[in-house]
Amino acid sequence: MMLFPRTLEELAGQRGTPRAGGTDLQDRRRLGLSTGPIVDLRDLTGLDAITWNPDGSVAIGARTTIAQLAADDQLKARYPGFAAAAGGLATPQIREVATLGGNLLQQVRCWYYRHPNLRCLRSGGTSCLAREGDHLFHACFDQGPCAAPHPSTMAAALLAYDATVELRDGQRLTAAELVGNGSDPTQSHSLQPGQLLTRVHLPPAVPGELGAYLRATNRTRAEWPLVEAVVRVRLAGGSFEQVAIALGGVANTPLRIQALEAALAGQPATLKVIDDRSKVAVNGAKPLPGTGYKLDLIPGVIASALVLALKQQPGDKPAGGAL
Amino acid sequence: MTVKPTRRGLLKGTLGGTLTAALTGCRSEQARGELSQLTAPGEKIVDAIPVDVTVNRTATQIAAGPDTTALEAVRNQLGLTGTKLACGHGACGACTIQVDGKPVASCLLPATSLHRRRVTTVEGLATDLRGLHPVQRAFIGEDAMQCGYCTPGFVVEAAAFFDAWRAEHGKQPPSREVIADALSGHLCRCGAYTQIYAAIARACEGAYDNAGERGPRYDAREKVTGQAKYTVDVQLPNMVYGAIGRAHVAHATIRRIDWSRALKHPGVYAAVDLTMGVRTIRFAGQELVAIAAESEAIARHALTLVDYDLDVYTPIIGIEAGRTAKDHVYTSRATRKQAPNANEAPLLPLKWRGNLRGPFQLFSKSRGKARRAVTEAKDSGDAKRLAGGQFSTQTQCHSTLEPHACVADWRDDLLVVHLSTQGVHQAAEDIAKRFDLPAERVQVLAQHVGGGFGGKAVLSLELVAAVELSRQLGRPVRVVLDRHEELATGGNRPAQEIDLALAADTEGKFTGVQVKSFADAGVAVGSAPSILFRIMYAKTPKKLEDWDVVTHAAPGKPLRAPGGPPAFWALEQAVDELAHARSEDPIALRRRNDPNPARKELYTWAESLPLWRDRATSIAADSGRYRRGVGLAVGGWFYFVQPSARVQVDTTPGGFVVSTACQDIGNGSKSVLAQAVANVFGIDPGMVAIRVGDSKLVPGPMSAGSRTATTIGPAATQAAENLREELLEIAEAQLGYRGAQAIPGGLRHSAGETSWGEVLARAPRLTTIGRRKRDRKGYVFGIGGLAAGRYVSGSLQVSEVEVDTRLGTVRVLQSQVGLGVGKIFTPVLARSQATGGVIQGISYALYEERRLDPNTGAVLTGNLEDYRIAGLGDVGTIDIHFMQKGFENVTGGGVGLAELVKLAPAAALGNAVFHATGYRPRHLPLRPDRVLKGLRT
Ligand SMILES: Cc1cc2nc3c(=O)[nH]c(=O)nc-3n(C[C@H](O)[C@H](O)[C@H](O)COP(=O)(O)OP(=O)(O)OC[C@H]3O[C@@H](n4cnc5c(N)ncnc54)[C@H](O)[C@@H]3O)c2cc1C
Ligand code: FES
Ligand code: FES
Repeated sequence: MMLFPRTLEELAGQRGTPRAGGTDLQDRRRLGLSTGPIVDLRDLTGLDAITWNPDGSVAIGARTTIAQLAADDQLKARYPGFAAAAGGLATPQIREVATLGGNLLQQVRCWYYRHPNLRCLRSGGTSCLAREGDHLFHACFDQGPCAAPHPSTMAAALLAYDATVELRDGQRLTAAELVGNGSDPTQSHSLQPGQLLTRVHLPPAVPGELGAYLRATNRTRAEWPLVEAVVRVRLAGGSFEQVAIALGGVANTPLRIQALEAALAGQPATLKVIDDRSKVAVNGAKPLPGTGYKLDLIPGVIASALVLALKQQPGDKPAGGAL
Repeated sequence: MTVKPTRRGLLKGTLGGTLTAALTGCRSEQARGELSQLTAPGEKIVDAIPVDVTVNRTATQIAAGPDTTALEAVRNQLGLTGTKLACGHGACGACTIQVDGKPVASCLLPATSLHRRRVTTVEGLATDLRGLHPVQRAFIGEDAMQCGYCTPGFVVEAAAFFDAWRAEHGKQPPSREVIADALSGHLCRCGAYTQIYAAIARACEGAYDNAGERGPRYDAREKVTGQAKYTVDVQLPNMVYGAIGRAHVAHATIRRIDWSRALKHPGVYAAVDLTMGVRTIRFAGQELVAIAAESEAIARHALTLVDYDLDVYTPIIGIEAGRTAKDHVYTSRATRKQAPNANEAPLLPLKWRGNLRGPFQLFSKSRGKARRAVTEAKDSGDAKRLAGGQFSTQTQCHSTLEPHACVADWRDDLLVVHLSTQGVHQAAEDIAKRFDLPAERVQVLAQHVGGGFGGKAVLSLELVAAVELSRQLGRPVRVVLDRHEELATGGNRPAQEIDLALAADTEGKFTGVQVKSFADAGVAVGSAPSILFRIMYAKTPKKLEDWDVVTHAAPGKPLRAPGGPPAFWALEQAVDELAHARSEDPIALRRRNDPNPARKELYTWAESLPLWRDRATSIAADSGRYRRGVGLAVGGWFYFVQPSARVQVDTTPGGFVVSTACQDIGNGSKSVLAQAVANVFGIDPGMVAIRVGDSKLVPGPMSAGSRTATTIGPAATQAAENLREELLEIAEAQLGYRGAQAIPGGLRHSAGETSWGEVLARAPRLTTIGRRKRDRKGYVFGIGGLAAGRYVSGSLQVSEVEVDTRLGTVRVLQSQVGLGVGKIFTPVLARSQATGGVIQGISYALYEERRLDPNTGAVLTGNLEDYRIAGLGDVGTIDIHFMQKGFENVTGGGVGLAELVKLAPAAALGNAVFHATGYRPRHLPLRPDRVLKGLRT
């Protein structure tokens, strides 16, 4: 069965799985991982706009496409790491239809979870097959029980940008609340069935803030990240004043790396400092037997992302030797 | 049904499942009741809503159920089969369509979302006003395709990119980076990227704004417009859909398979047993039953209703487990005979020890001498005299973009089989044998084939399923593998572990090579890379041992250059290692030990390359994060011809018609034929019509073993030359052209000149059949209609890489490839085959890897996200240099190159990584985790 609500009011009484771009949902329906009626958001109006508030904050409708986010000049100027994250994920043909809401609420890409004939913790089985089996691309901050990395690049961006999400009933969740703590192996987010994500709110950008997004992959493009980082930086007099760093691909939720943020704050923005301090990011990591290599990647990805961010500042290039 | 055992042999008659010999009866059943009529082909849409959409400028309506994809709607409901399904999950771009001008992946797009939108498919890119889109013309002109299966997707995306680029940048050409970004959602398995870059850049520059619609590839226009019909596109009246039920576990015995629940499901018509009496499951994905139903969805659903009563055991996964396990994959002499052949050569009897089969030592040469040389070099303690160690390579899947596909139509008088195959003629013979039919009652058709690479050379079970079901139902039955099935069972290059020692004397003369190699071809046996060690550095004594280690995994198959990439990965790195240990130029060392004349010339050529000449003299010369290095490796390959093959040339009043029962799998057979005949008559190849892909034509060769061009080129030439003589006689005797002599394009005679077109219009219809003449000095051997030539071709590749020491990536910046293969028949196509092979080699070295769950044996990389194939941005620039001398004794003057080009890439990259970093990689693929680990130690 399919429903096509035109307004949020109409939608309120309808039961079924929301469908936005369908790029994640259809794959899971094909595999039998999602069944039942569909609430197709095709005709729903009012959720595909980027609306700026007088205080400089912005509300982004859940149905805004990833391509729209990546191409929006204002977003690029004020939240460069956020826009770059959108432009860096998946492929052009996916970004064109994938929505911000769907991206945040997609399920993991684990090769056990999406296997046509295996059942794991997420799909009605009794154990995490990756943990016991082949987990080359899985978590290195093992938060248990599921070892698959959180799939959403935009969730990492939300975390770095201190964003909140709004639900249909007006409820607000922080990005951290949205992704949860990874303890529920059946969900990649904390929304209950029937809840609809309507908007994402980003607080006003800090004047002069820089930002970047970077991922480590095997091929050059169109590949799920081994490790990805969204960074925000504000400099004052050549030193880091504020830093925000979120990592994806490393745990079953995106992670803010507060220890490193603190370690950089107040330090001169040089390559040497970045290089030395980035190692802090792996403190507390718990790799699986096959994911130790990600601990080598993490400092590299963060350091490169920070350098990328600093390069946006004309004339304020980091000094101190190549990374 | 009685099935005759077929002998496993040279790309012949092998059945690609687990079973080959002693097959018994085949149980089958048909559902009772009326066959209901189909709504849309392949689909009965439940719960559908109407969707208004404008497709290719025409307003229309489609029916969209909850899970109907836009792809299914355009293909099945609107019959627009140009848009292709390859991966089904957004990773490959074959299904790309434009919605309101924006390219999207239609395989994931709900059809509901097309409501009130404007869709353009590949069929709609051309307009009455402008004809083909400039990008389509550029793809034709630059030959930016091989099999063409990915082409519609690329063209639809590139056309949108072109329109946007032109609007913003005018005729400024986009950079490679920009093109790679824009087309990052597309994969081409044939590796046509070099030409795709060129096509897009040149189109943007305006080079094709007013160009024609003809190019070097005979069927390019069909491919860029979506008109080319592949087996997956075949729709026959009354057709039903089959699907294959497979083992979900890798090791079990079958107590009972009960499909009665499935058969009762509405819309299910019939079921057949595919176990053929074998009661053991030996790999996940093994074929067990097939079900036919009114739609593919129903057939696949019905498979979930089949009850399997199995005793499940722990599987043996991987070489190490195979060597050490107490359990055995084959437990008796009789069951060992069921092991399929992973190779092209016939299996010789060898000893089995548990899961080990071997050693196969036939290709050794002065074994004792080789062993003594290695021992002596070891004992000398002189690092300059010994190189090598343990190397390993991964399992690589063929993963053609068009999956294995078959539409079988069993009629009273004729069994017509549409088949995605590398050999229509061979397939027809094999089918006749298998189903006990007279040869004339079987016809195999393959108009276009979306890639093969060795994976479609033998009959496999989707064919058996389709034919059996069709026989029962008296209706055409279509069976097409999905991507998971394709990657799980469609064929693979076995994983290999190679222990290699290369010994030399103090002067740098090789004194011995000792190799022990273990292959994991799953349940198959016979992988034998040793022959390649034998043909290289041919004078050096060699002690060569091949071992099979059988495991519970899908059978390996020959994959373009079977055994080659693993063997050269080990050998050519060892040679490089020795050169560095001796502080000697790697070319100097090779030249001293390499008697092959084709490569001698290539060494001289390579020395003249600035890329090689000007490389850093020391190892790890760069000290920063990004380190560049240059590596060189060489290769050598055999050539084959199929003397039994024929090419027929007919004249009609309108032109020449060339026909042979071969097929074009992207290798360009059609273009080779057209070119050969055109050359003889000095006419435009456009005057030559080609008919292939039909087993009823005169017997043609398989497209495998690099034999196609070297077989059909000379055969077509011979036919055309004979025809020309006949035409001259007729012109003189019947048409009144006095003193007629052939000149390019026609005749010269006493009254002037007349074109062949005019001659044909007046001449009676003629038919000639040409064959490939024997090589002047004969062949090394001939078996099963295949002859191995006397000469070994040579290749040399120099590649430059950049290693990111921080993130562990290896990027290929450029490759220079020299090929000594003699005369080139169709230069543009040969170049495209060569760059494609190099690209596949890069993809293999850096990314591709089938991974199995170590506990269950399930294939984890059953999709094109997890099974990584190189994309546009991964391959660097590639230049091909042909050395067109040295094969004068070969009929036609040239040998094949399809396999040769796949040998050197991995080792060239390995050697370049060493040059860049000092880290000598030994295991493929060169994943970031491996590179980081290697750099640390
Ligand atoms: C080849 C490939 C590579 C990819 N690489 C990346 C990558 O690198 N990084 C990344 O982040 N993603 C990646 N993706 C995933 C892709 O970004 C997601 O599939 C997409 O963002 C999902 O958006 P959608 O609108 O299509 O969601 P849908 O498929 O429509 O929905 C996804 C889920 O969210 C729910 N949902 C959607 N909207 C709402 C809403 N408003 N309220 C409540 N629930 C809702 C649906 O019910 C469903 O469960 C990749 C995908 C592919 C195919
Ligand atoms: S078939 Fe749609 S992206 Fe591969
Ligand atoms: S031409 Fe691209 S897949 Fe064959």
